[in-house]
Amino acid sequence: MPPSAEVPYGALDLMILKTLESMGPQHGYGIARRIEQIVQGSLALNQGTIYPALLRLEQKGWIASEWGTSENNRRARFYSLTRAGRRQLQTETEYWTRTVDIVHRLLGRT
Amino acid sequence: MMTSLRTLLSRLRGTFAGRRSEIELNAQIEAHLDALADDYVRRGVSPGEARAAARRDFGGIEQMKEACRDLRGIALINSIGRDVQYAVRTIARNPAFAVAAVITLALGIGANTAVFSLLDAVTLRSLPVRDPEHLLQVVKVEGTVRRGENYSYPQVRALSEQRDVFSGVFGAGSSPVITGAPDALQRADAAWVTGDYYETLGVHPVAGRLLSARDDQPGAPPAAVITEEYWNRLFSRDPAAIGRTIPIEGVPVPIVGITPRGFGGVHVGQIADITLAVSARPQLSPRDALYLGPGANWLRLFVRLQPDVMEAQAGTRLAVVWTQLATSRRPAGPALVSPRLAQFTLALVSGRTGSSPLREQFGPPLYALMVIVAVVLLIACANVANLLLARAAARQREIAVRLALGAARSRIVRQVLIEGMVLSSAGTILGVGLAWGGSDALIDLLSTGRMEPVLLDVRPNGHVLLFATLSAMATALCFGLAPALRASSTPCASLLNQSSSRIFGSPGRLASTLVVCQVALSLVLLTGAGLFVETLHNLRTLDAGFRHEGVLLARVDAARAGYSGADTVRLYDELLERARQIPGVRSASFSIITPPSGGGGISLSVGVNGHAPRQEEFHINGVSPGYFQTMSTPIVMGREFTSGDNEAAPKVAIINEAFAARELDGVSPIGQRVSLGSPPGTRGEMSIVGVVRDAVYETLRSGAPPTVYIPFAQSQGGNVTFEISADRGLAQVSSVVRSEFQRRLPRTIVDVRTLTSQVEATLVQDRLMATLGAGFGTLGLLLAAIGLYGLLAYVQSTRAKEIGVRIALGAGRARVMWTVVRDALALLTTGAACGLPIVWAVSRLVGSLLFGVRPFDPTTIITATAVLVAAGTLAGFLPAYRSASVDPMIALRHE
Repeated sequence: MPPSAEVPYGALDLMILKTLESMGPQHGYGIARRIEQIVQGSLALNQGTIYPALLRLEQKGWIASEWGTSENNRRARFYSLTRAGRRQLQTETEYWTRTVDIVHRLLGRT
Repeated sequence: MMTSLRTLLSRLRGTFAGRRSEIELNAQIEAHLDALADDYVRRGVSPGEARAAARRDFGGIEQMKEACRDLRGIALINSIGRDVQYAVRTIARNPAFAVAAVITLALGIGANTAVFSLLDAVTLRSLPVRDPEHLLQVVKVEGTVRRGENYSYPQVRALSEQRDVFSGVFGAGSSPVITGAPDALQRADAAWVTGDYYETLGVHPVAGRLLSARDDQPGAPPAAVITEEYWNRLFSRDPAAIGRTIPIEGVPVPIVGITPRGFGGVHVGQIADITLAVSARPQLSPRDALYLGPGANWLRLFVRLQPDVMEAQAGTRLAVVWTQLATSRRPAGPALVSPRLAQFTLALVSGRTGSSPLREQFGPPLYALMVIVAVVLLIACANVANLLLARAAARQREIAVRLALGAARSRIVRQVLIEGMVLSSAGTILGVGLAWGGSDALIDLLSTGRMEPVLLDVRPNGHVLLFATLSAMATALCFGLAPALRASSTPCASLLNQSSSRIFGSPGRLASTLVVCQVALSLVLLTGAGLFVETLHNLRTLDAGFRHEGVLLARVDAARAGYSGADTVRLYDELLERARQIPGVRSASFSIITPPSGGGGISLSVGVNGHAPRQEEFHINGVSPGYFQTMSTPIVMGREFTSGDNEAAPKVAIINEAFAARELDGVSPIGQRVSLGSPPGTRGEMSIVGVVRDAVYETLRSGAPPTVYIPFAQSQGGNVTFEISADRGLAQVSSVVRSEFQRRLPRTIVDVRTLTSQVEATLVQDRLMATLGAGFGTLGLLLAAIGLYGLLAYVQSTRAKEIGVRIALGAGRARVMWTVVRDALALLTTGAACGLPIVWAVSRLVGSLLFGVRPFDPTTIITATAVLVAAGTLAGFLPAYRSASVDPMIALRHE
């Protein structure tokens, strides 16, 4: 399996937070679809894996959820970013940028 | 930090809200799959394929659910919860096993908890006061030996002046008072305390005020503090009780305050309903003025140190004050510490648990009982362990399957241990219930025959529940560990390959070992029970020198009823005359002391026939004519006292054989002259008119001391007890005596009891050990027999086929039975052999509790072994019979 197939640890959380920031409240399917569009097959992602991630983020208080109605009139649980989540996204973004930067420099691609 | 706390809380919530979250998650998954499938349909995929594609995209639903579950709950709690549920289900599937195990454990844990709660109440529990750890008691010691703990009122007052060392000093004595309306007099336990009692203890009133130094001044008006329980009993918690008066010794005393619930004074074993200042004592009863004097040592002494004072410093100060008190001459009378007491030094000991005469009396037996019940619990554990082993054997296949499917061995061990925990918890809950009732029965046993019942609070408290919980956990480990380890070490492949009937395998060395241990331990219990029963029997059948059957005792208090001097003697003679006229009364008498309740002996100079007197220890009693007849004490030589031996007549004495043997060197005693405490040849000299058989004086154990009896009329007088011997209708005679005597003795309570109950009261410790020792011995024997039966029955069931073959090949039924009985006997003899060294070691520890029997008594041990073997053989008989009745055809076809 090529190395690109794995989701780096913590990346999924960041992707979810970023998705919610840019798209506003979303249901699980919406988030999964959006992430899939972005990664465009470069990561092997089972859509189901976002649910444990969503639960984990909700337990940490970074996202909130409530039941609502989806665009095609289905009952769905909508997730939204909380204030703490926004802060966390910022911290995490900085962290990732720095990490990516370091890795880039290490690989001599600056 | 906040985040992890929030996560924890949300997980905890999730643990309990598991089911709802599960439903919500399912709904989300459904919605997600639907939406995914819709997308595929929109792209032109057929609905069926769209669904399959959606599933593929979604990934493993169950893994994802499990991941969510792990996140939701705290994984360990959840999985333990599942194990507990599983354990409860497995246990419930086999109710006979569950009931047997739980009852066995309940008996074991209940017995332990009951005895522990008594031990806790008597010796371990702190007084409900402020900072009990720093309360100290002052005791008298000689070297390292305790020589008493009672002090006189002036001594306590002298010590309480040492404020630079002690932040608080108080003395407390207990002595019942008579209270209630004149027509319904009753005794109440009372504490007499010095002024700083409550302040030093740090007890605060629930209503009113408590006694202070102002109440303990000469002439201060009497004031009573009552306990919350007494307030409840007498006044139904009426707040207006404060300021009301209660009659104490006929004097109305105002109630000034109420102490909090649970506080009953510093004397454990008594609950002082009423607390009064020592200085008020003469006002309530003028003849009690002597209790304020230097001659009456009756107060227990407690202190608290100043914060910066070390115990050693305080000890030095105590020694200085004690010496000062012993040497300084007072203007009137002798020093406050007598020369004899000055030989002792004062020592500080912990006062955390208060003081109790019960402790010395019941401490050793209670610790012995604790060991006994612990052994019972061990036997019970072995039974449950064997039950679990048998079940584990039956479940080996299940366990093998679980191991094969990848269950961790630790998980299997945990599962079996949790089953043990569930069983022991159920046993403990039932056991604590049993203990609750049981400890009351124990206290009744302690109180039998006592004038004042033993009052102890044995409601299950924190200590006791902690003890029960710890013993439950210890037992669960004890009986669960062996089966658990065995279960997990099962080699699964070999088991799965075997046919079902072979899985059971051999009964296991472990099970046999457990039964051998049970047998050994029950031999210890049975021998102990035998020794204690023998002790009680020896004491009861001991020739005490008097007969207690059919004799009533009536204790009268003439002084309290207002008699004094010659009036008292006349009253006694009159009462004696009346008693003799009551129908059914054979004879009657009175005496200063009635055995076996005499105090310690006295030490006086004894001079015989004008020889130089020697200081000797002996007992003395003043008795009326007819005493020896009433007590059925045989007169060996000479005569009994008559009414002629009055104060005007020449002084006479009757001695017992022990006194004659010690003092008279074989000279015929009659007519010899003896002087006690007075120089020979003076008026105090008495001539011996009779010799009586030795009679017990103080306790049955200590035997008969050298004793001198003098006519009551020639003694210094005092309160007496009447002995009334009746040949029929003791109860009826008793009520006649009570009403006849009561009429002449208003304002007092006439106590009528049987001499038998007075004798029994001195045997309370022995009765406790004999009754409970025998009870627990039987219980242990029963449990061991059940254990043996279980093992043999199990072996029999696994060997049915082999036995069938043997019977088919012509083995006689008797021979088949013998093989099972032989197994039983082998286990029994091995167990007994292992038990003997334990018996030898343990029985020596209880030597001090025995009487008339050696600790390692061969007869007792042989009897115990015989009982054990008989019970064991009986237990083996049923499996043996079943073996013999195996139908070979059925057994062989069964395979």
